[in-house]
Amino acid sequence: MTKYNYATVEEMPPLAFSLESTRMIPTGSWRHVRPVYRDKNSPCHVTCPAGEKIPAYFELVRQKKYEEAWYKILEDNPLPGVTGRVCYHPCEGQCNRAGYDGAVAIHNIERFVADRNLQNKKLPAAVESPKSEKVAVIGSGPAGLSCAYQLSRMGYRAVIYESDHEPGGMLRYGIPDYRLPKKILDKEIKDIETLGVEIMVDSRIGGNVAWSELERYDAVFVAVGAARSKKMETPGEELKGVYSGIDFLRELNTGKVPKIGRNVLVVGGGNTAIDAARSAMRLGKRVTVLYRRTRAEMPAVPEEIEEAEKEGVLFQFLVAPVGISGNKGKVSGIELVKMKLGEPDESGRKRPVPVKGSNFSLKADTIISAIGEEPDLAFLPYSFLKKGIRLFVDDDYTTGVPGIFAGGDAATNPNGTVVNAIMAGKEAAISIHEFLGWRSRSNGASHDVVAPEEVNTFYFPHENRVEVPRQTVQKSKSTFSEVNKTLTEEQALTEAERCFTCGTCLHCDVCMTFCPDVAISKDESGEYVIDYDHCKGCGICVEECPRGAMELVPEGARETAEEVKTA
Amino acid sequence: MKGRNGMSMRNAGLLHPSIEKVVVIEGTHAASYAVKLARVQVIAAYPITPQTSVVEKLSEIVSDGELDAKFIKVESEHSAMACCIGSSISGARAFTATSSQGLALMHELLHWAAGSRLPIVMVNVNRAMAPPWSIYVDHNDSLSQRDTGWLQFYAESNQEVTDTVLQAYRIAETVSLPVMINLDAFVLSHTSEPVALPKQELVDEFLPPRKAPFKVDASDPRAFGALIGPEAYMEMRYKLYQAMEDARRVIREVDRDFAAKFGRSYGGLVEEYMTEDAETVLITSATAVSTARIAVDELRSMGFPVGLMKIRAFRPFPVDEIRELAKRVRKIGVMDRSVSFGATGIIYQETKAVLYNAPDRPAVFGFIAGLGGRDITPETIKEIFSYLLNREEPVSEAVWVGLKTAAADRPEPPFPENSAAMKSSEGV
Amino acid sequence: MGQIKYQLPPEEVLAPGHFACPGCGATLTMRYALKALGRKTVAVIPACCWSVIDGPVPYSAAGVPVFHTAFETAASTACGVKAGLDAQGDHETTVLAFAGDGGTFDIGLQALSGAAERNEDIVYICYDNEAYMNTGIQRSSATPFGAWTTTTPTESPKAEKKKNIVEILAAHRVPYIATASVAYPDDMISKIRKAKDIRGFKFIHVFSPCPPGWKFEPEDSIKISRMAIESKVFPLIEIFDGTDYRLSKEPEGIPVHDYIKMQGRFRHLDDEKIGLIQKNVDEEWARLCSKIVPAMQVSHAARDEMKGGRKSSRARGARGTGSAKKKEQSARR
Repeated sequence: MTKYNYATVEEMPPLAFSLESTRMIPTGSWRHVRPVYRDKNSPCHVTCPAGEKIPAYFELVRQKKYEEAWYKILEDNPLPGVTGRVCYHPCEGQCNRAGYDGAVAIHNIERFVADRNLQNKKLPAAVESPKSEKVAVIGSGPAGLSCAYQLSRMGYRAVIYESDHEPGGMLRYGIPDYRLPKKILDKEIKDIETLGVEIMVDSRIGGNVAWSELERYDAVFVAVGAARSKKMETPGEELKGVYSGIDFLRELNTGKVPKIGRNVLVVGGGNTAIDAARSAMRLGKRVTVLYRRTRAEMPAVPEEIEEAEKEGVLFQFLVAPVGISGNKGKVSGIELVKMKLGEPDESGRKRPVPVKGSNFSLKADTIISAIGEEPDLAFLPYSFLKKGIRLFVDDDYTTGVPGIFAGGDAATNPNGTVVNAIMAGKEAAISIHEFLGWRSRSNGASHDVVAPEEVNTFYFPHENRVEVPRQTVQKSKSTFSEVNKTLTEEQALTEAERCFTCGTCLHCDVCMTFCPDVAISKDESGEYVIDYDHCKGCGICVEECPRGAMELVPEGARETAEEVKTA
Repeated sequence: MKGRNGMSMRNAGLLHPSIEKVVVIEGTHAASYAVKLARVQVIAAYPITPQTSVVEKLSEIVSDGELDAKFIKVESEHSAMACCIGSSISGARAFTATSSQGLALMHELLHWAAGSRLPIVMVNVNRAMAPPWSIYVDHNDSLSQRDTGWLQFYAESNQEVTDTVLQAYRIAETVSLPVMINLDAFVLSHTSEPVALPKQELVDEFLPPRKAPFKVDASDPRAFGALIGPEAYMEMRYKLYQAMEDARRVIREVDRDFAAKFGRSYGGLVEEYMTEDAETVLITSATAVSTARIAVDELRSMGFPVGLMKIRAFRPFPVDEIRELAKRVRKIGVMDRSVSFGATGIIYQETKAVLYNAPDRPAVFGFIAGLGGRDITPETIKEIFSYLLNREEPVSEAVWVGLKTAAADRPEPPFPENSAAMKSSEGV
Repeated sequence: MGQIKYQLPPEEVLAPGHFACPGCGATLTMRYALKALGRKTVAVIPACCWSVIDGPVPYSAAGVPVFHTAFETAASTACGVKAGLDAQGDHETTVLAFAGDGGTFDIGLQALSGAAERNEDIVYICYDNEAYMNTGIQRSSATPFGAWTTTTPTESPKAEKKKNIVEILAAHRVPYIATASVAYPDDMISKIRKAKDIRGFKFIHVFSPCPPGWKFEPEDSIKISRMAIESKVFPLIEIFDGTDYRLSKEPEGIPVHDYIKMQGRFRHLDDEKIGLIQKNVDEEWARLCSKIVPAMQVSHAARDEMKGGRKSSRARGARGTGSAKKKEQSARR
């Protein structure tokens, strides 16, 4: 009990009334746990290979600051218009809203932001001071573009050597128009060039450009991708009417119409196979995809498979080609063997095993082989360490040859996706930066990821996920125009509102609202301040935080500057 | 039965210039009109016989717009006192009236009012406590509340009721303590007497609007009566104790001021009658005093040196006055209209207590009389005097006067049988 | 749409450093009440947790004048304060009686009834923590069926149902009665503000969880309050003139089981007993709905209007503002 601050009865007031506020009483001493504001990672952010700051740009979208949102994405990814269309968006798979009422359509918001800025060419300037070093990048696919872009932002001069006539690599030649219109790609590459990246097209290293020309660069990033179809290694593969998926798509993407028959079989289960199948559909053909495992194991993006199905592509699972039959040098059919699934292989998928004596034949006049791609590394002058068909690189994208880095599909451990290539380019740029004697800035971000149970869903009324506007199937079957449309602004805003913004304080005031101890206030800048002299550590603020941006730490743990941060 | 009018009327007469008018009213209404004159702002009350006519009259007065007060007709005496406490802490002048069981129900809040140092004035019509049910006078109801921190006055006449209510507010607001004014059930409450009502403007001069030294005030927010530790509770009680001590002086001063303005005085804490040369003095209170005046007059006429002391203020207890009296007399009898079970009559108890440490200690005799409305007549008083005159020392701590009993120790039969003894003791 | 947010009046009248236990619902109730009523308020507090919470002499947390009064006199003392202020010409200051369930349902019921019947112009807030918490968790008539308290041990938990204080007050036909919850502060504040503006007797019954008394972790105070509302254990309503019932928030109707299981005071209850509680809650809800029907239509319409055609069928959170305005108008008709 506190003392009545009088020495004698004579000094005391006539009766027991209060003389001051309880503010004088440090009830903070009762506390044994301490609430702190601590921004955590959202699962989408940590899942995004490119490391896009999704909660941050979503908040900008909600504020209708679309240009700022675009810049926020551009910090990690120079190709949001591309990834907003073709990314397999693993972010959504981890979205904490998925188990509540459906993942937030992050993918579509990214595209909305990119498309909203289609007319906008004002890329952010270099974030660091100009540097004297120059870096050569071989290949202008997503890995090369990403690396050169990031280097350029760091102040380096980056020059891309592209063997093709136009930049973009697989983005240009491997993805059909109905998924990625050329004008989007052109725009985003142009933006990268505007930033200062030089792209030398028609410049094949080891071809018209000698490897030695690269010696004037301080570092080299090899990002030639994997643009060569793997062989099926099946008798009859040389017959007329057998295409590789890559070649087929390349022809389409250069404006030609490949001469294929009415009855098309596509072998493979990846995105190339699906792209080829859907493209063939658009040429008015009867298309069947043959895959040696089941639908569940198909590496293609599930939505793409669904789309293909809707458009009329047929699927035959658990079959593998054993031979291609021909007539007069032209394909006439394929012999298949039925498969069954055995033990999982090193990829974790069940290994297909042939069923003896189950062979059967199908008629076909065109066979598109899309069982995978491999890099063409013949141009390399030294004997680089390889793993399988790919260049071996360490975690920091070094090849073992000082100054030479590699990433993307040409190097080890790709998953063949655009976004992984963008990640490789970005991370390799940082490695190069360090190789050139600079210290990269550590972002010091927390590694904690907000789990679904840390989200207080009370604050988020149920709201269905946005329906992505699409072209009708009927139309899709006959045209290469884009199937999926960009969200309208209203849709984008509604969808952005659905985002829990896991782990990032949005200054929603819930913590302040429910503090029984009146111990949370806002300073002049609008940041929360916890009055630890009075906070009793009840934890209501932490429990009620809608998005897991606070936590309770044991009292006695030294508080750090980050801990008292301020959302 | 009540004797003639009290001393006050004799002092002032009915022609003093302060008088607005003289009315013949019963004791309850004497209280009601005083409340009006005191410009009470909040009245909260609950009916109980024989207090009812206090509030009935007040209801009329307020309804007629003669008094601009809020009258809260509460659902219990407990709430009546709570309302008084609430209005008083807000700075308003508050009044209530009750009796007996109602007062007992208020008991908790009597502490609260005094502990909060609130100058509430209450009229209590003294009525015996049940069971068995009784609606008639004795003083056990109010005397049971003696330790609550309330000043207590006992009125002898209807005029004294009016005048004491006016004095009470002045005293209460000076010492920041509540005041209870007691009047005997029926004997005073329902007996009509002429009462001089003073002029309002003079009352206003005597009793200006209340200026609360502390109150619940949104512009100076304070909490009142919160938890306090042992390190300060005692000091808070000491403050209250000191305020009550101080009240003795204030009561005397206020009575003097009152006399100067209105021509009537009640002597402060006590009023003495024929004590100048008395050897045997009876101490008593309330309407019994008027009756005792008659007995004293009679005995004086018979040559007995007897006198009378009226206890007007029981709280604070008139310590100095009684000690002063003790210097002059040989015997003191105390007639109580109350009994503290396991002890004695209550005023007797206190009288003895104040004399124990006094240098002059006459013999003190205790009498219990008039409980539950048992009539106190001049004969009763004379019986007590007879007992006193016949004995040098008390043989009992509580002589129950008029008790229907076969027991031995009872007052002597009245005069003239023992007149010789009396005369001899008187030494005449 | 999007996140539920609260916009409370920014001024903090209540000071920190008070003596409430961590996670105290009664304290949040006071904090919101003072936000709603503002500084021109006098609080009358009888014996209850708040006799301690406000701080010992010479401290006070409330930021408004507080008169600590006897257990059973919250209403009567408040009436006195109101009359005293009126008599002195102050008709602006709000007089707030702020009492616990013991001081309201039990010992203070008579004074409460008296004040209600006289239609005294005070705001009476009962913060209901469903037992005598300040004295150490003894049963009150607000303690729910089946609950453990120190006077209803787990071997013989409370066998009687909670007293329906709101119905008692409704029978007095006072102009305004509302129930509120610390989990819905905007709803509570709008109700208390409404109460402030209505002349006559106003009664606000606030569900105020008590972590030590109910045996749950203090951080769950709000969650539990919310579950009480969503499970229909404690419906959020308004009653005008004792007869006109309005529902402030449609509960989701989560199982009572979920609410019960959060609290140690119900730990001893088996599924059968919980079933009884559910049955009772359902019956009480049906009874309430039978009174509320016309008002429900009003409040649905208001909500639809407010939602602006939102698809979600689950209206979470306290979103009574739109309908509250209508009710206010009707209250002054």
